[in-house]
Amino acid sequence: MNSKLERQLDELMEADIINSDTSQKILAFYRMKEQSKPNSILTIFRVLGALLTGLGITLIIAHNWDDMPRNIKTSMAFLPLVIGQVALAYSFLKKKSSAWVEASATFLILSVGATISMVGQIYNIPGNLSDFLFIWIAITAPLIYITRSKLAVLIHLVFSTWYACRLGYSYKGEIPWWYLVQLIWVVPYYINLLKKQPGSNIVGVLNWLIPLSPLLVLGTFTKGDSLVFLMYIALFGSFYNIGQIPFFKNQKLRRNGYTIIGSLGSIFLLTILTFEWFWKEPIHNGYHGTDLVITAVLFLAGIAVLGYLHLKKHLKDFNLFQYAFLIMGLLYLTKYFGSTYGLVLTNILVATLGLFAVRIGINKNSFGILNYGILIITALIVCRFFDTNLDFIFRGILFISLGAGFFVANYFLLKKQGKNSINVTSNTESHE
Amino acid sequence: MNKSVAIIVLFLLFAVQLFVPAQMIYEQEDTLYSGTAYKFKTQPIDPSDPFRGKYIVLNYEMDSFETNDESWNGYFGTLFIYLETDAKGFASVKTISKTQLDSSDDYFITKTHYNYNGKVEFELPFNRFYMNEYKAYDAEISVRKAQADRTKTCYGLVYLKEGTGVLENVYIDDKPILEFVEEYQQEKDSIQ
Repeated sequence: MNSKLERQLDELMEADIINSDTSQKILAFYRMKEQSKPNSILTIFRVLGALLTGLGITLIIAHNWDDMPRNIKTSMAFLPLVIGQVALAYSFLKKKSSAWVEASATFLILSVGATISMVGQIYNIPGNLSDFLFIWIAITAPLIYITRSKLAVLIHLVFSTWYACRLGYSYKGEIPWWYLVQLIWVVPYYINLLKKQPGSNIVGVLNWLIPLSPLLVLGTFTKGDSLVFLMYIALFGSFYNIGQIPFFKNQKLRRNGYTIIGSLGSIFLLTILTFEWFWKEPIHNGYHGTDLVITAVLFLAGIAVLGYLHLKKHLKDFNLFQYAFLIMGLLYLTKYFGSTYGLVLTNILVATLGLFAVRIGINKNSFGILNYGILIITALIVCRFFDTNLDFIFRGILFISLGAGFFVANYFLLKKQGKNSINVTSNTESHE
Repeated sequence: MNKSVAIIVLFLLFAVQLFVPAQMIYEQEDTLYSGTAYKFKTQPIDPSDPFRGKYIVLNYEMDSFETNDESWNGYFGTLFIYLETDAKGFASVKTISKTQLDSSDDYFITKTHYNYNGKVEFELPFNRFYMNEYKAYDAEISVRKAQADRTKTCYGLVYLKEGTGVLENVYIDDKPILEFVEEYQQEKDSIQ
């Protein structure tokens, strides 16, 4: 990295943009920064070592050593757990580096699972995988706060999601209420990380994992009636609005899982709801209580985030994506007056969202967002071909117009970018 | 978190992590030591668990209880099953209850599976028997072959105490399943 920086600095010095003094200062600054950074490669290798060893022990245990007497097997069961505890106690008491703590906490989490597995195996203890995961998560969760291990949080989230999916999506599935506790458990840790290390890799990963986990699990909380669409739309709406909080919005888009998941999810679901079958489906006389409560809670959460953004004056520019979930909630009520209103208005909503994305793309000079908007409109039109009887010539012309739309919009954006860069250059020259 | 508080909490957590498996072992050992043994007729099949390895699921013959009591219709919940031993020495259901009875009979707790036409169906909880990864599949095959001639009986020996059931072993005509499978594997190898 240093040689690259040095090359760039030399280039800047040759172009008379900086002098050698400034170059030295910049170099010294980055070297200092580099030295104060923890050795991430070492941490990764240690954690990987701990992960692989822990998983290896679990697999060796899973072989089932049936030649061994029961009492020896029982004593052996505690071996990985005790080793994990000793390693963590050592790294904790001796104030070892974070790489040590990460590795020993990871190993301890896996060895707790290995020990419970072995005891379960020796005594043929009844219980399926979700029961097993539940105990495992419960007795390792405090490690997140005691050791501040980043991998402990990731393992906790992955296991909690696995537990909830196993319990909820299985035959005779139950609602995994404990999942909510497991998810809330990591929230204070996450908020603390957001405040103290906003640019860190772990925050980037959690910005994706924290919305993804409830997205995967939400289906276990529903009995599957037509409210399920609204439930997911409210979830995506809430995610999108969380992603619009300046803290997340000001980060690179790829680090903002809330906005991406919220936007893609909303568009996907709204496009499904532009089909006629949804609006023709008869309205139930009564919905399942849990479905109603969860849908209401998710809508309220979305509204609360919008309220927060409004209070903090972050809603200056109108963005239809932020309100799409609310509009859809109101449109759902039109089902009581027949299928036509909702159907037509949802189609208009999706088309407007597409146009909105095009506008955001042009304003932000972003080809990605511009083409995303055109794709939304294209998807909507393609979908309409499934349930309309338009003739081939009309469809052909429509597709050609869309294709031309793509070219024209991209051409104008390119032209606008060209103009901007000329303006920047002329401004720089006039300053000189 | 304050460092000294963190250390105390860490050691408390270590104690909990040690206590949980120790408690599991104590409960199982206590039942095996002082519980009553029952034989449950069964047939094994072979699936796998990502952490605990290969096991055989025991499909017990005892899976329902007939009753005229209409209060069972539509009931899905906890089920106390009280046992007795039949003339051939196998466990059979004496009675079932939604709550614990004041009885000296041995029992175990499970959940209702399906209720229809005066028949309450359930699943016995101790239906997993963990086996060596090279033996679980052969266990299923060998027992199925042995049972085909209807002369051999496969059963799980379960110790019961205060509602806790520990599956001690699975037998085929009084021979532990492990020995039975090993003999089957030797026979199979000699043919090959």
